Amino acid sequence: MEEVNKFRVYKQRGRLYTKSITKNFSPFGEKVVRYKGNEYREANYERSKLFAAIKKGLSQTGIKEGHKVLYLGSSHGYTPSFVSDIVGKGGVVFCLDFAPTVMRDLVIICEKRENMIPLLADATKPETYKDKVLKSDILYQDIAQREQVETFIKNMEMHLKPGGFGLLTLKARSVDVTRKPKEIFNETMSVLKERYAVVDYRELDPYEKDHAFFVVKKK
Amino acid sequence: MSIKKLREMNLAETKKAIKNSVNEDIIVINIINTLEEIEKQTNSLVMRLRDFYKLKHPEAESRISDNEGLVKNVLSGNKEKSVMGANLGDDEETLQKIALMCKELYDTKNFLTKRLESLLQKYAPNMNYLAGATITAKLIREAKSLRKLATGKSSTIQMLGAEKALFRHLKSGANSPKHGVIVNHQIIQKNKDKGKAARILADKISIAAKLDFFKGEFKAPLLVKEIEDKLKWKK
Repeated sequence: MEEVNKFRVYKQRGRLYTKSITKNFSPFGEKVVRYKGNEYREANYERSKLFAAIKKGLSQTGIKEGHKVLYLGSSHGYTPSFVSDIVGKGGVVFCLDFAPTVMRDLVIICEKRENMIPLLADATKPETYKDKVLKSDILYQDIAQREQVETFIKNMEMHLKPGGFGLLTLKARSVDVTRKPKEIFNETMSVLKERYAVVDYRELDPYEKDHAFFVVKKK
Repeated sequence: MSIKKLREMNLAETKKAIKNSVNEDIIVINIINTLEEIEKQTNSLVMRLRDFYKLKHPEAESRISDNEGLVKNVLSGNKEKSVMGANLGDDEETLQKIALMCKELYDTKNFLTKRLESLLQKYAPNMNYLAGATITAKLIREAKSLRKLATGKSSTIQMLGAEKALFRHLKSGANSPKHGVIVNHQIIQKNKDKGKAARILADKISIAAKLDFFKGEFKAPLLVKEIEDKLKWKK
């Protein structure tokens, strides 16, 4: 079990793990490994885009212990649960999603994990949940919508501390199905470069088709 | 405010919001999904029943092509004489058990169909009259809600359920699809020019959806008449 790039993500025989903050709790049926008195939960990089990016050799995630994370597009809470492992008990993850169907699962997970907070809100309207979140160190966005980049920038401006990191997974097919993904990635890159320092960029092939992962730093 | 307090507040608020999020759209979508699933399951289970019944009464099995009729025939304990049929002995009970299961599925299906009909008569009377309960429910499912049907375009209604073909058309320039889930409507089935019929029907369904969502009057018979005039087709 060795740490990957000081991400608080651990690697063993090609598989990725995080140090679990709960005991005997694996809501997604993921494997739990015990190593030197700690529990580690396995993160499937074919299911989580963050771990797909780490698998592809991401140099920086920016997520540290004790950080406050705003997670847009949390869905059932698969990746958020691992992010909450990474930030540990001192940190907090605000999990935001728009669909009540997935929220039902998420609330049940949030009740067991003390550093996760559910929010039923629309990510495209950041002003509506202004009072319900704290200024965050990390903004993670994974929403498959047409206005992904605009939403990301709006939230970066409103909810992120200066010097904080923004992580964006971009699904090219949601932006425009008729255009080539590469074109959309390049366009997004130039839009982001205008405002922020782009720290890293990975395409998530072959784990996710037509997806890219951006890491940017707010000045 | 401390994080702990914030968490408690958000948890309570989210739970309340989830509770209040249940509406007619979700019920309709769940019913139509269940109905489709039951249809599939019934068909494959009746196939197994046929295999079994063939051993006992091959003549009756080949005579009755209607699945529901076959189940009734098995349950009534067919007393006709059969030359090829074997005596099943203890497995007579097995046969009856499978038939009972099929009957239960048919009963549930009938119940759900009636429930869907009465629900849509209240929730979307115009669309229900114009397109029928099944197509209305499928349209709501594809669009996710009646609101989206009412605020969307009629060309969207025409294409709902044919997304795969539509995106193939957009990506590679293949022929565009003419209709989605509305294809099962008899207006389209009976008309030779299917594209034209689909266009006109989608147009009127769109008006009906607007009437239903904004709680307008019941104008569906008028809409049907307009379609008939346009297509010179009698219901």
